[in-house]
Amino acid sequence: MTETIHVPLGSAVREHQLADGVPTLSIDSLSVQFTNRRGIARVIDEVSLQVWPGEIVGLIGESGSGKSMTALSVLGLAPPTASIISGDIKLSGSSLRAMSKSQIRTVRGKHMAMVPQEPMTAMNPIMRVGKQVGEPYVVHQASTWKHAIAQAVLMMGRVHLPLPNRRVHEYPHQFSGGMIQRSMVAMALSLGPQLLIADEPTTGLDVTIQAQVLRLLRDIRDIYQTALLFITHDLGVVAGICDWVYVMYAGRIVEQGSVQQILTAPKHPYTQALLLATPSIISRQTELVSIGGSIPSFFELPEGCRFADRCVRRFERCATEPDLIGVSASHTARCWLSV
Amino acid sequence: MFRVIGQRVAAFLPTLLATSFAIFIVVNVVPGSAARAALGITATPQAIARFENELGLDRPIFVQYLDWLSRVVTGDFGTSFQGRVPVGPDIARRLPVTLELAVLAFVIANLIAVPLGALAAFHHKRKIDTVITLLATLLGAVPNFWLSTLLILVFSLILRILPAGGFVSIATDPVRNLKLMIMPSLSLGIVSSALLLRIMRASMIEVLSTDYIRTALAKGATDSVVVWRHSIRNGLIPFLTVGAVEFGWLFGGVVIIEDIFLLPGIGSMVLVGIVNRDYPVLMASVLVITTVVLIANMLADIVATLLDPRQISIR
Amino acid sequence: MRQIAKSRKEPLFFRHERERYRLIVVGSLLVGLILAASIFAGTSTGYSPYEMNINEKLKAPSIDHLLGTDEIGRDVLTRAMYAARMSVQVAAIAVSIGLFGGGVIGILAAYHGGLVDLVLMRFMELLFSFPAILLAVVLMASLGTTLINAMAAIGIIFIPGFSRLARATTQGVLRQPYIEAARTIGMSDARLILREVLPNVVTPLVVEAMAAFGYAVLLESSLSFLGLGAQPPEPSWGNMLNTGRGFMVVAPWMSIVPGVAMFVGVLGFNLLGDGFRDFLDPKLY
Repeated sequence: MTETIHVPLGSAVREHQLADGVPTLSIDSLSVQFTNRRGIARVIDEVSLQVWPGEIVGLIGESGSGKSMTALSVLGLAPPTASIISGDIKLSGSSLRAMSKSQIRTVRGKHMAMVPQEPMTAMNPIMRVGKQVGEPYVVHQASTWKHAIAQAVLMMGRVHLPLPNRRVHEYPHQFSGGMIQRSMVAMALSLGPQLLIADEPTTGLDVTIQAQVLRLLRDIRDIYQTALLFITHDLGVVAGICDWVYVMYAGRIVEQGSVQQILTAPKHPYTQALLLATPSIISRQTELVSIGGSIPSFFELPEGCRFADRCVRRFERCATEPDLIGVSASHTARCWLSV
Repeated sequence: MFRVIGQRVAAFLPTLLATSFAIFIVVNVVPGSAARAALGITATPQAIARFENELGLDRPIFVQYLDWLSRVVTGDFGTSFQGRVPVGPDIARRLPVTLELAVLAFVIANLIAVPLGALAAFHHKRKIDTVITLLATLLGAVPNFWLSTLLILVFSLILRILPAGGFVSIATDPVRNLKLMIMPSLSLGIVSSALLLRIMRASMIEVLSTDYIRTALAKGATDSVVVWRHSIRNGLIPFLTVGAVEFGWLFGGVVIIEDIFLLPGIGSMVLVGIVNRDYPVLMASVLVITTVVLIANMLADIVATLLDPRQISIR
Repeated sequence: MRQIAKSRKEPLFFRHERERYRLIVVGSLLVGLILAASIFAGTSTGYSPYEMNINEKLKAPSIDHLLGTDEIGRDVLTRAMYAARMSVQVAAIAVSIGLFGGGVIGILAAYHGGLVDLVLMRFMELLFSFPAILLAVVLMASLGTTLINAMAAIGIIFIPGFSRLARATTQGVLRQPYIEAARTIGMSDARLILREVLPNVVTPLVVEAMAAFGYAVLLESSLSFLGLGAQPPEPSWGNMLNTGRGFMVVAPWMSIVPGVAMFVGVLGFNLLGDGFRDFLDPKLY
């Protein structure tokens, strides 16, 4: 018996927004690279994506595809050895690249926030949780610590943490992974940011906790109309929460479209393979198929299509890398087969 | 929490005991030399035998140790071979001098190491880091007694603004006391700071690469906020453990420095004991120094444990 | 279809590696200077370190005496070179004692574990808790102030540090699955240690030994300064500095030369030790 896939009205949302207004997050042809003695690694290669207010956008890819780096680049927290070569990142129309360091600091935590990947190491182990969750108030609103901690109690209650007034005085090691993750969400939402980036927020958590965190994020979007960029490697999770999907491979966007389009009619062989390898999506009767090979090293990228040597359907034309080709008005894929 | 303190204190006592035994053995391992040192090379075997008998040096060594230990525990550090005066009062007089020197040196070392180490870590892989690291390397290679000599040359002999030796208690004349203590403390402190700086820098680099620092930055915190609120305390904890060990090592340095600057402390007392082959003096002074070092290590251990909330909670 | 990408290759000595190599280069230069001094001590200056000449006493550096003379007319440069030789010898032997002694103790402790480990390591901890100079001074006092005793005393001070390192490395090796495999095919303890443990332990120990060399020179100088190391008329940087103190105003070179020599020696060995440590284990720094 197949599981039903929850299909939100993603396409409708985006088409509605496109008419008026400005995307909350707009990454335009961004390229980021590292240079070391092995050569140059362009970990993000002319990536463009958008997240509109109230939209949950999934960015899916394997580890090493460059998706976490994208999140860090938006916040300006990429390691100093990474440099932005070209492109722009805009938050509600304002270019983040054009901002000075101090300007970005006023934006971070207030207009855009992140829930990072590893909850267990994301908090300062010798500082009480309440202080950390309430810190955005002190940083951005010159609030007193007393007020900040009171706000932290409120926020932690909103993310359904039990007994928040007691929990605020505890230390991170006294929390479980799921509880820290929820506290991180509380921390991120404190000042009501327009954009929330969640980097693998459910990885490593129990399935039940995963479901709770996902439900929480959906509720937040529903109540606050926050734009949410959801980074993951799990198509099953994407199916459960996202409106729009970008598929990333070896630093490039290889397919993008509404979650309906991606899940029911994927055009890029990589997306198709991902689907076949995700147990929660395919039916029990179908075999799970893993994708042979591994992602190419960023230092030795192939000339043509980057997925070609793992692709079962490659042909001569794949020696040249395709652009994003339109499958329909909103659905594009970087594959000659979709022509 | 008290359980932790109790554990540390309980571990301290056997270590102290073992140390006292080690000191006793090492000092008394060569028979007959005490007598020869006290009486001179021309001493006859009979004089040596009488001397040893009088002072109980012909008994089995373990018996001598227990005898000595039982007296030390009651505060009787024996009588010096040379002057036949009790050693105890001497120790009481000299200990404050050494403690003042060690504390001053330690403060100086930390005042240099902590800020510079943190600064270097913040600007890791950039010019400031390279300069500071270079400075630490150079300072660490300077022998403290040579630094003393240079300081004396400049400030006592050329500029004539500081006295070259002697001591006055801080109670009697604080200004002169400081004048007399500044060069010795600088000699000890500056060289110590080199190692401490490297440790602080390494500790801070480790802290600054953690995820929680990135979280703090993601909240929009400025660099100075990140420094003060999130990294210094975290970096100090591992630093303290090493810092305490370094404090102990300062007490090795006091032996030389007190000699150079004519400070009547326990360090110079050790030398007096050595030069005069005065074993009660030597053993007493070495024991006192080692005890102070062990106490310092224990205290640092306790403090580090208390500062880290992960250790205290009962879960 | 797959091609090597159009990636530009950076020069081999990327900025950081350059810095590490710089350490080794400078360290080698300084150490080379000291070693050259020790080797050519007797043959280059034409003076003997003991040759007294009251008429020439306390002379400033000149063509005859490149670094001046001391209070009884001896050539400072010659004495400094002989002192270099002695420092290197003492340091080499002391570090070797520490290396072998500590290595054996550490390996045995890790290999046998249990009571042997406990007893040995407690003893090492005990030694380690003594401030180094204090321990050296006391050992010299009880053993007698000869050069051999100085080598032994400093060597003993190094043993706990090396034993800790050897023990930790051995424990790491013994955790590997191929050790269990070797045991099951009947390999004896001795062979196991020789073939599997030793090769892996040697490298970190040798690196540590290079780092310790500088400290050994420092300790030897400290002992000589206090009169507990090389005895006059044997020249040592320490005792030269001690004598020089009395003549600082009239003959500052008597103090400056041994001081600079000490500094160069310790610095050179430290840099070399650090450089090799960085080179072989870069992730720690």
